[in-house]
Formats: sequence, structure tokens, C-alpha cells
Amino acid sequence: MEFLSKTQIIAALGAVGMAVYVLDLVRRRRLSEEYSLLWLVSSVVIALLGFSTPLLRWITNALGILGESSTVFAFGLAFSTAMLLYMSIKLSRLGMENHELTRELALLRHELEVRTAPPVRPGEGA
Amino acid sequence: MSARVLVIVPAHDEEASLGRTLEETRAVAPDVDLLVVDDGSHDATSDVARAHGVPVVRHAVNLGVGGALQTGFRYAVEHGYDIGVQLDADGQHDPAFLPALLAPVREGRADVSIGSRYVSRSGYRAPVARRLGMVMFAGVVRLALGTRIHDTTSGFRAYGRRVMAQCQHDFPKDFPDAPLLIQLVRRGFRLVEVPVTMRERRAGQSFYTLGKSIYYPYKNLLASLMAWLQRPA
Repeated sequence: MEFLSKTQIIAALGAVGMAVYVLDLVRRRRLSEEYSLLWLVSSVVIALLGFSTPLLRWITNALGILGESSTVFAFGLAFSTAMLLYMSIKLSRLGMENHELTRELALLRHELEVRTAPPVRPGEGA
Repeated sequence: MSARVLVIVPAHDEEASLGRTLEETRAVAPDVDLLVVDDGSHDATSDVARAHGVPVVRHAVNLGVGGALQTGFRYAVEHGYDIGVQLDADGQHDPAFLPALLAPVREGRADVSIGSRYVSRSGYRAPVARRLGMVMFAGVVRLALGTRIHDTTSGFRAYGRRVMAQCQHDFPKDFPDAPLLIQLVRRGFRLVEVPVTMRERRAGQSFYTLGKSIYYPYKNLLASLMAWLQRPA
């Protein structure tokens, strides 16, 4: 197996380590399957680029990138960007759901208070 | 049969001024019901409301004035109110204007009635930065709608039942200003402005402190654009 540089080996091994760690997180139920997908795909792609120099060369030439290492970085960056955007979307949705739940809870609690306690009339004061 | 009116008072840490606002409202408009939406206060806001015999819906965390109003709308719709009015707890909104504000919605001339500071010359003078923002958003609204709304940032508004029913699901999250107005007009609701005079806030912190930052104009512009792009229903 031919490697272009030490960095390529480090990147390849790092990516494999990452993939294994992600799978382990899923196994221990610390990371949901949904979120593991992008991580796993990105680790596998980086590992493929790292271990298969012909593939790396081919993609580099095909995209007209000047150096092989840039290709690896480009893929890494693309995945990071995708992940961050995905997280932002998820966060926005979580925020909206949270908003909705807060309002729902407030109304339910009010309903409960009305049903369980006699209403305080003006003037009686707490 | 006369319309049932709910005055929604969004309140965040307003224990100092809430009591007087509630008393004043009761005094000038004894025929309307009150609801305090305590937006995650850390002070005795809820207790003050209860002591005045006003029902309180309390958010566990602070959602902002938009969220508080949305909760109020939902309460109003579920309890069969025909009109909901936003009245700020800090005393800026003078309850004496309630009848004038309610009239257009009561008479079916409009779906939303805005208590406006600029329709006629009223005493209110805002800080320069705020005024600049107000002028800009009045411009944005005019550009988007082709009609002029003088006071886009006034929170002192009366909303008809159909508006409340729609807004309980879809509503700007923090500041219901220009984007909301654009959205409402695009959906075919009729807006009118009613001249009011606003007072200085009595105590507490403005909901709009965060609005002074860069975020508020940005957010409002983007939301206005999105509301404008939305297909009219």
C-alpha cells in the first residue's frame, strides 16, 4: 500500500478510530443512530481517501485540486459544514418545540390551579 | 350581545408596576377580563396578579413578549373571547385608551387595531436609535404592503378572534412588530391605527433591551422579508 505522506496515514488511522468511537457511542446509547450517520459517513470517506492513494489521486485530478492533502481537508470541511448546519436546524426545531411546550405547560398548570383551588376574589388578597 | 374582551398583560419581572396597571384597567374598563402572562419572572409578578384576583398563566422560562402574547391568544380562544388586547404591565399603555382601541374591532371595521403614537401628534419621544429603527421598519412595512402603518413597534393592540386563532400557532417568537404586521396583511386581515398617547414606563426592565443590539434589526428585516415572500392565504 502506497502512502504519500505521514499525514495521510495519520488521517486514515484517525478516521478509522473516529468511526469505531462513533459506533461505540451508538452501542452505549450515548449517541442516537440519527446523529451517528453523518459522523460515520464522514469518517469512512476520510478513511477511504487515506487508505486508497489511487482514489485520492483520481479525485484530486478530477476536481482540479492542487495537492492531495487539500482534497482530504476539503472533504473534512464539507462534512463539518454539513454537520454544523444540520445541528443549527435541529437546534432551531428544539427551540420551537421547547417554546411550544413551555406555553402548553403554563396553560395546563393554570387549568390545574383553577380546578383544584377556589378562585381568589378581588380584595381578599393573598 | 357585546363582544367578550380579554386584556392580556405580558409581564416579566414587573411586580413594581403590575398592580397599578391592573387596578387602572379595572377602573376604566370594568367590563373586560384580565389575564396576566407571567413570562418566567423571578420576582413576585404572579403573586401580585393573584392578589388582584387576576388569573395568571406562568411560563416556566422566559419566552419573550411574542411567546407571552401567543399564550394569551390561546387562552383567549380556548375561553371563548372575541377580542384580545395586549396591555403592557409597565404602565406605558394607558388603559384609558382601551375603548378607543377596541372600537374598530368591536364594530367589525378591522381585525387588528393598533394603538399608534404617530397618527396624531402625541407626546411620546423615543430615544434616537429607537426612532431610527421605527422609521426604518415603518418604511419596510410600507414597501412590503404599499400601505402606511405609522407605528409598527407599538405593542398596544387589539386582536380579533380570527387573528388570535391563527396566531396561536404561527407567531413571531420574540418581537411581534413589523414582520407580524406584514404577515397579517398578507393573510387578508384588516389593520387600523388608533391614536394613543404612551407614557413613560413606571418600573422594571423593558422587553426591548435586547432589541438595541444588532440582532433585532437583522432579525426583523429577515422576518419581514420572509413574511412578505409568504404566499397570501
